[in-house]
Amino acid sequence: MFNTIKKIIKYPNLTQNYPRKALLSLPKTGKTVIDMKKCTGCGECLGRCPSQAIVRDAQTKVLGINLDTCVFCTLCEEICPSGAIAMTNQFELAEEKRTALRSSTLVIAEDQEIVMPYEAICAELVKRIRKTFGRSLNIREVDAGSCNGCDYEINAMNNPFNDVERLGMHFVASPRHADMLLVTGTATRNMQLALIKTYNATPDPKLVVAVGACACSGGIFRDSYATSNGIDNIVPVDVYIPGCPPRPQAIIYGILKAIEKL
Amino acid sequence: MTAIEINKKLIENFGDDIIKTVKAYENELYLEIKPDRIRELSGYINHEMGYPLVSMFANDETSLIGKYAVYYAFADRVSGILLILKIGIEPEQMTFESIAGKVHAAARYEREIKDLFGLNPVGHPNAKRLVFHGNWPRETFPLRKAYDLKHRPDFAKEKINFSKVISAGVFEIPVGPVHAGIIEPGHFRFSVAGEPIINLEAQLYFVHKGIEKLCEGESLEKCLFVAERISGDESFTNAYAYCQAIEKIAGLKIPERAEYIRVVFAELERLTSHLGDLGGICTDVAYGFAASQFKMMRGWAYGIADELCGMRFLRGVNRLGGVRKDFVAGKEASLIRQLKKIRSEFEETEVIIKANSFFIDRVENTGILSAQIAADLNAVGPPARAAGIRSDVRKSFPNRVYRQLSFAIPEHHNGDVNCRMNVKIEECYQAIDLMLAAIDSMPAGRIRESITTVAPYQFAFGMTEAPRGENIHWVMTGENNTIFRYKIRTPSFCNWPALCHAVKGNLVPDFPLINKSFNLSYAGNDL
Repeated sequence: MFNTIKKIIKYPNLTQNYPRKALLSLPKTGKTVIDMKKCTGCGECLGRCPSQAIVRDAQTKVLGINLDTCVFCTLCEEICPSGAIAMTNQFELAEEKRTALRSSTLVIAEDQEIVMPYEAICAELVKRIRKTFGRSLNIREVDAGSCNGCDYEINAMNNPFNDVERLGMHFVASPRHADMLLVTGTATRNMQLALIKTYNATPDPKLVVAVGACACSGGIFRDSYATSNGIDNIVPVDVYIPGCPPRPQAIIYGILKAIEKL
Repeated sequence: MTAIEINKKLIENFGDDIIKTVKAYENELYLEIKPDRIRELSGYINHEMGYPLVSMFANDETSLIGKYAVYYAFADRVSGILLILKIGIEPEQMTFESIAGKVHAAARYEREIKDLFGLNPVGHPNAKRLVFHGNWPRETFPLRKAYDLKHRPDFAKEKINFSKVISAGVFEIPVGPVHAGIIEPGHFRFSVAGEPIINLEAQLYFVHKGIEKLCEGESLEKCLFVAERISGDESFTNAYAYCQAIEKIAGLKIPERAEYIRVVFAELERLTSHLGDLGGICTDVAYGFAASQFKMMRGWAYGIADELCGMRFLRGVNRLGGVRKDFVAGKEASLIRQLKKIRSEFEETEVIIKANSFFIDRVENTGILSAQIAADLNAVGPPARAAGIRSDVRKSFPNRVYRQLSFAIPEHHNGDVNCRMNVKIEECYQAIDLMLAAIDSMPAGRIRESITTVAPYQFAFGMTEAPRGENIHWVMTGENNTIFRYKIRTPSFCNWPALCHAVKGNLVPDFPLINKSFNLSYAGNDL
């Protein structure tokens, strides 16, 4: 018992004050940026990007990165012969629209699922939710086919360093108690029904947050016989958090963005 | 026994049945045998020679030899040799003899082959569907080469039947696939009489993503990134096994410094994973203080990973032929300081939890996995070591570095949660000591060799000891530096059936605790 008390005194508080204060040490693998002035157009990164997140506009030849697909493997930075690609430490990347994560100059028209009518419904919903939830938010996590990386990072939100309960976020055991679904994974075929049932079991008004490249776009696993290309093919999504996996602070940023407290 | 002696012994006993023998690399011996003799041969190898079945998979080789092939990999863990039996199956026939009655570990592999290839195991005791749930139409065989990766078949409606225990007072508890905690999806069907569990059937493959098919025809480089994403917290070890297989095929010996760096990362991953498990065990017995201690240490371990490579999950460290950067150079002092800090904190926490009789009472004699069942199902990793089976890839198939560093396999025999916990506690110390020793004796030099081209239709195994146990990948290359077939067998695949046995007779509320002490990956099993 004495030893237990000793430890409690030794480590009274480990929690980082994010998001009130910026992180002291920023991560090294955040958003990727391409310097088109240095780019020679050799196309090395285009061919070798494992999740085909780098795209080139047919007319302007400008390169862009679709952050909803990027798995943050840093390969492009390493292989670029002219050093035009660099990883930044920017990790607060969550966006409400998937289009905002994709390079604007690119062939987005192919991805029909982005312009679906539920966007309008969601906008209305969000307004009401701000009124309804007040300061407390109950979250239900659903793994719809991830590698478990995102789920570990969601778990880490409850560790002594992040401790999201201080922000009024609480993970609940049932969708019946939840205001928000935090969905990871590509929505595999075998999980689609479970995801829909969980969504339907969550009382209105509700928010859905897609966590990680797989949930945003299918990531490296898209276009397989057993996956779907992002959970927005199955349920409406309010906020997309890119990353592979996004770190706990990036998820916190995304959730805060979802309830528009930032 | 050397590979030549093993071959001699088999030829003495089964000379007429062996069609062809190929010795590939140092430690892989491939025997092509007559398909109708597989049961006798595998039974002999498993029971008389004592080699467990460590992997089994089919391959659509109709474009190469006009046949399907099934491979059975047995491991001689004493001398570090893989003995692989291969049978050919004519496309008109599409059946093969089941060996599940003789070699119990084969049962799940055969069901997997049946689902993915449509090859029927004749004489299988229970060949119900494994990978595909009721929503998949019959006659969907994605791993056949003719199947288009992007083809998503229509949804079918077939009811899945679970094993039923019928008696007065016996009822079923369905759990999942969406669980109460923040974990992966899976469905558990408990048959209980009051509190004790009579039977547990786990329906998995909810996160089946078709990884093996996704890799076929893709470049070797891309598949490395896919391998890193097989199972979240085993990113490094899966990529490591994949790299080993490709490097073996390319005939490349990676620089010694790269091998040392890989060992540092492999042990860091083990430490991080085990700290998470120990925290989870404490959470599941509502021991909040200890859980926070372990979560804190895990946070520190993630901090080390972040400092070394900028990725908390050690992604982007490996590359074919070595490692991407010299991640350790210049950071030795900081690394040693942080590891020692974790070690001393861990020692003090261990004293506290072991002095807590309430805690020990919950974990002792809970969820016992018997040594016999563990051996029959080829359980691996900490659950097997806790049940008295001494298997560790780092000892039986060591690379140069593990051969030089000294460490001992933890020995426990009761097979309960307490033993699994103690194995993990001992391995945490061991991981820290191995990292410190590796940093200390790491030679200077290059960190990678380059692989330009790899010959087509060559195959090899890559093996690592993942935090969860023995991890075996088999790769067959295709034309133009692509993958023809990638078979991933993670430790979780072997340990899931063992978990279902270990919970029998225990109370339902102890299931989360037992489950956590196994800490199996769903993604690594489902692929």
